[in-house]
Amino acid sequence: MIMKGQKRKFPPEDVEESDRSSLTWESQRQFVFSVSLSKYQRGQELPEPSLRRSVLIANTLRQISLEASGAASVEASPGSSPSEPPAEEEESVFTGVPSARHQPAEAVINGHSALSTGPVVSSGYSSNCVTSRCPASCHSYTSNVPLSLGDEDEDWGSMTTDPDFSLSAAISSILSALDSTIDGSPQAAPRTPLRSLENLSRSPEGSAAWVKQGVRGYGGGSWEPQEECRVRDSNVEVMWSSYLSDLTVEDLFQDIDTSLLERDMGVLGLRGSGGGFPAGEDLLRYLPPFSPASHPFSLSLNQNLKCLPSFSSFSPMSSSSSSSSSLSSPPSSLFSGHNHAREGLDLEHLMEILVES
Amino acid sequence: MLGRMEAAARMWHVGMTSSLHIRVLTLIVDAICPPPRRAALCDRAVGLCVQPELLNEAMAGVAGGNDFQWCFSQVKGAIDEDVAEADIISTVEFNYSGELLATGDKGGRVVIFQHEQESKNRPHLRGEYNVYSTFQSHEPEFDYLKSLEIEEKINKIRWLPQQNAAHFLLSTNDKTIKLWKISERDKRAEGYNLKDEDGRLRDPFRISSLRVPVLMPMDLMVEASPRRIFANAHTYHINSISVNSDHETYLSADDLRINLWHLEITDRSFNIVDIKPANMEELTEVITAAECHPNQCNVFVYSSSKGTIRLCDMRAAALCDRHSKFFEEPEDPSSRSFFSEIISSISDVKFSHSGRYMMTRDYLSVKVWDLNMENRPVETYQVHEYLRSKLCSLYENDCIFDKFECCWNGSDSAIMTGSYNNFFRMFDRNTRRDITLEASRESSKPRATLKPRKVSTGGKRKKDEISVDSLDFNKKILHTAWHPKDNVIAVAATNNLYIFQDKIN
Repeated sequence: MIMKGQKRKFPPEDVEESDRSSLTWESQRQFVFSVSLSKYQRGQELPEPSLRRSVLIANTLRQISLEASGAASVEASPGSSPSEPPAEEEESVFTGVPSARHQPAEAVINGHSALSTGPVVSSGYSSNCVTSRCPASCHSYTSNVPLSLGDEDEDWGSMTTDPDFSLSAAISSILSALDSTIDGSPQAAPRTPLRSLENLSRSPEGSAAWVKQGVRGYGGGSWEPQEECRVRDSNVEVMWSSYLSDLTVEDLFQDIDTSLLERDMGVLGLRGSGGGFPAGEDLLRYLPPFSPASHPFSLSLNQNLKCLPSFSSFSPMSSSSSSSSSLSSPPSSLFSGHNHAREGLDLEHLMEILVES
Repeated sequence: MLGRMEAAARMWHVGMTSSLHIRVLTLIVDAICPPPRRAALCDRAVGLCVQPELLNEAMAGVAGGNDFQWCFSQVKGAIDEDVAEADIISTVEFNYSGELLATGDKGGRVVIFQHEQESKNRPHLRGEYNVYSTFQSHEPEFDYLKSLEIEEKINKIRWLPQQNAAHFLLSTNDKTIKLWKISERDKRAEGYNLKDEDGRLRDPFRISSLRVPVLMPMDLMVEASPRRIFANAHTYHINSISVNSDHETYLSADDLRINLWHLEITDRSFNIVDIKPANMEELTEVITAAECHPNQCNVFVYSSSKGTIRLCDMRAAALCDRHSKFFEEPEDPSSRSFFSEIISSISDVKFSHSGRYMMTRDYLSVKVWDLNMENRPVETYQVHEYLRSKLCSLYENDCIFDKFECCWNGSDSAIMTGSYNNFFRMFDRNTRRDITLEASRESSKPRATLKPRKVSTGGKRKKDEISVDSLDFNKKILHTAWHPKDNVIAVAATNNLYIFQDKIN
């Protein structure tokens, strides 16, 4: 069934789509999502990516994220208590198969409290994201955060029902980058993976590398407020792009909301006015890479993911080191954790380097 | 009645004894014939049973369809396992008379085969196709502005209708279309005044008499020369070209735009369709194929990656962004999956010769549309439905992006398309029968009848069937062509070109 000489990474589940509530369907969706990401990334690395293929993969990714958000919003149960301890949540995620769909909502609620309660809770939240719909979680989280920041006056419900919220903008930015490459516009710089900066803050445990995607190469699309996602927590990974060289230091830091930096999770903020739609911003979020110890496929995907532009709605994924063993179960083996505690330190380290350069 | 006939027809296969043949034929005749004529027909049918080939013909006549047998005719191309990438055939096309068969490959070469006349001593065989001309159509180019190499792979070849002794064809790679003139030279002028036979100029003072050069026969030489080069009109990759019925213009389509050219004018073209959004972030659909209507020079269609076909009338506006007709089949919600959009992407669109229908090929099926009905196709044929449950794996190994072509036969009664494992499928539109055949070296004995193949879908695999998991997805038949008049088909299997014909007496 597969091409000669190619080893199948792990068996995909050919499951009927209609059974949306089954865990196998969800794992298949995760699989398709991750495969799509890597495909897209590999396609973009080619000197001349095929437009038809890129569009089809991007549409598939968009559809998957839509379904993810749809599934999550359907099951949103705002009534769950935010004070649920993270450890319990973790276990319930992995043991409570039928309720897996409910986790995102609870996770979101927990995430909401993560802002105020600090990293511990957020790690619990992120572990929930592992088997839950990760984009959905982030998505729903995204919508939730405005309440805490007060930037957006939108309620939870309307945000979650907005299907094209974050991912479409992400995908569209990819396409605009693609267009700039193909059409030979001044913006078309060949996009290379961010090798040099990767080495900068990459640590064996896979702690987060905070990188900001350059503006150039991504057309001025409209970007939904993504400060919320960024405030999120240090589980989110962002990447510098090679466009950095084109930007001045002022441009780089113009949009950094220093107020956010003062929180423990400094995330490089969006440019533009606070609140509302920032102009053309891309902050990268990735499915955090797998722990390097896990199987090679995850590692390569990790590398691929780091090069992926602006899919901003991916959920933060990580877990505290204590839960890493439970995360290695097959369905969730794609997503394993970072060393959470070091992320804040790495961020500051990176910030220093940037300021110096 | 049809059911009985079909049931009897299904019993018909090579290897049956003649007595069984007679019984089956009787069943068929019984099914369709009113009693008074039945006896006479039966007798005649029995008489035909002596020769299996004639039985096929009788069967076809009785059943009312093109149900003959295909047999191997020729195979072109190297046999070795190690296939050079440049030798992979990327397009196959018969010319309007069927006398010439052109193939293009990934190395930018065009090979033209010509049909030899049937030999007198073997009239039951159609003539063979032999190499007529080979030339390098496109070379790899380097786009310095974007630091990209432009592939020399020939994406499409389209013949022009023949107007004089020379043959003309259009061949295109991703960016440039070329008009080639293929002409024969079998005479040579001898006895020039100003130059010697070897070409050296003669000293004018030494010329004392005038003579008229005489045409002498020489060995046939087929020359191909590029007459027009249509370049720099496409930003994206050209996927289709189509010659208009006015024989003066043609269209070329890339992922986002369609241009209309005049065959005589190379320095400009008219852009007639442009679906590029102002903001590339909003791009969700690309053009996958386009074709001119065979009779109406103002009509053309283009298909998209979302499974839609738009028919445009060039009389309506200069820019045909607004379609005249929009063909889309509503999605079946029960069969929705993550890959629904990808498998709905249309890889080929072809008008019927009559111009009344058009056929589209998506990943799993072929659909025939009546141009007068936009909301659904009139016929749908499943090419390899057994792959539907394997879409995830096919997505993983990229096979889901393969672009299969399809073609009509000369009378529009049958359609053909390719599949994996070097299988190709033919559907008879009248009898609704379909057949799966294989292009392989094993069945390449001269005039060997092709045995129908079957892919087993259930758990139990019958003898001679092949299971889905044993299919070789590296062996895909993407390009096929059907002779415009006869039952001769050309099937491109990687680097080999198979020619099959029907068995006639």
